[in-house]
Amino acid sequence: MNAYRKPLPRLDDANLPFWDGARRGELRLQRCQDCGVCRFPAARACVRCHGTRSEWVATSGRGKVESFCVFHKGYFPGFEAELPYNVVVVALDEGVKLFSNLVGIANHAIEIGMAVEASFERATDAVTLVKFKPVATT
Amino acid sequence: MDSAREIPDAEAKRGDARPQTNTPSGRTASLPSRSLSGQVAVVGVGTTRYGKLPDHDAYDLGVWALTEALADAGLEFGDIDGLIVNRIADYQRFGEITGIDPGFVTITPGQGRFSGICIEMACAVIAAGLARTVALVYGNDGRSAGDRYGGASDLYGSGGAGLWFPYGMTSPGAFHALMAQRHMALYGTTEDQLGEIAVTFRKHAALNPSAVMRDPFSLADYHASRFICEPLHLLDYCLINDGGVALILTASERARDGKAPPIYIRGFGQATALAGSSFPPEDFWRAPMQKVAADVRAMSGLAPDDVDALMIYDNFTPTVLFALEGFGFCPIGQSGPWVADGGLRLGGRFPTNTSGGHLSESYMQGWALNVEAVRQLRGECGARQVAGARHVQYLAAAPVVTSIVYGSAPS
Repeated sequence: MNAYRKPLPRLDDANLPFWDGARRGELRLQRCQDCGVCRFPAARACVRCHGTRSEWVATSGRGKVESFCVFHKGYFPGFEAELPYNVVVVALDEGVKLFSNLVGIANHAIEIGMAVEASFERATDAVTLVKFKPVATT
Repeated sequence: MDSAREIPDAEAKRGDARPQTNTPSGRTASLPSRSLSGQVAVVGVGTTRYGKLPDHDAYDLGVWALTEALADAGLEFGDIDGLIVNRIADYQRFGEITGIDPGFVTITPGQGRFSGICIEMACAVIAAGLARTVALVYGNDGRSAGDRYGGASDLYGSGGAGLWFPYGMTSPGAFHALMAQRHMALYGTTEDQLGEIAVTFRKHAALNPSAVMRDPFSLADYHASRFICEPLHLLDYCLINDGGVALILTASERARDGKAPPIYIRGFGQATALAGSSFPPEDFWRAPMQKVAADVRAMSGLAPDDVDALMIYDNFTPTVLFALEGFGFCPIGQSGPWVADGGLRLGGRFPTNTSGGHLSESYMQGWALNVEAVRQLRGECGARQVAGARHVQYLAAAPVVTSIVYGSAPS
């Protein structure tokens, strides 16, 4: 099997709970224990109340596409074979935003405002990436 | 007596120290002080050649531009008592190689938003009497140094210390592509309308002997240019080139003795949208732009209708749309049709980036646009001159919004 060639996240201590969660199929966020606001990446203090007590919690993994773009230029090794690939901004129901990729859909079918949910994609033994897929409509 | 130090007295005499009311956001309603209008003038501007200049590093380019600006102003290196350096790595080395010992010095990061910030800071420094003659010096050897704005060395766009690289997210261009896509979805903005911006600025550059890119292209050429980050094409992106720019600012009372006609800073303002700024702003930076527009109008007494030309920070074409809407030069959501109707063209409603801007003249991160404003008001722009221009406004839409209105008269 070929070695994974795309950039990997730095597994710093502060964000380790996020990556541990992803490996277990959970989208975890850091939540302020004083005011309840979620944040990611990890920060010492809450952006709203500046309290420093926090915990990592599993979330719904659901959100909406706030915008998207499609890369035609390859900036990183490992992405060339996937050009053109999408990048989306997902606004999670918990108020946190993430950059990610939308999977299971053609780039031209992506729409702003579409409901999406987390889809976990193993990269290496240590790293599972949090991607998103459209929420199935019934 | 140092005339710059008289400004607080002058303010008191005019009874302009009006009571300040706190807004709900905690801002002070009447900052910055309206009495700053017309108190500071640009007395010298200097630019290098632009393009690929591998024999010059950023220091060389800064010295070259500063030498031109001092000659333009009829001043000597020894007249500089305030120094603001941007994008050049080290202010100390810059002072060493130019042999100057200014009484005020600072250095700012190499982000384009800092051109407006620096000019505004120079106004404050002069008005406060901290310096009389401030040199603002910018040098950019990014083309020859091989600067990259995307990929592993991307320090400019995606932020987060590489947090989003695993998803392939990088570059300021992608950040603006995300904003453009959202503008298209909300308002029906089209690629043709973005293309019109690129086509227009290239037409202007064709009239500017200093511009790096002067060959006109059509909308069809625009569409044929490759996508970098869809919906943006190559021709939606600014250039990457080498060059330097310098401006000399002084108190207006001193400016009248100079060699070049003084161009007065009639109004300026700044506001930020730093919270959550790793991600594209949902309002296209409209809130901070509206605040700055109001502050600039209050200080200068000038409304959009009084402005003869615009210089809009054009790192990418969509930024021009966001600025037009945010500063009230066209209705919200209508910037696309507005530019397609020719509003930006020489002879149009608000001739914009008459030099060709970052898209076609030179990527001087706002500095050269401020110089173009001065040259337009001096009437030095030849084939691209806006006839009878009296007021030119610089607009920058970014996480730090700035705007500066220049006038050929102090009031």
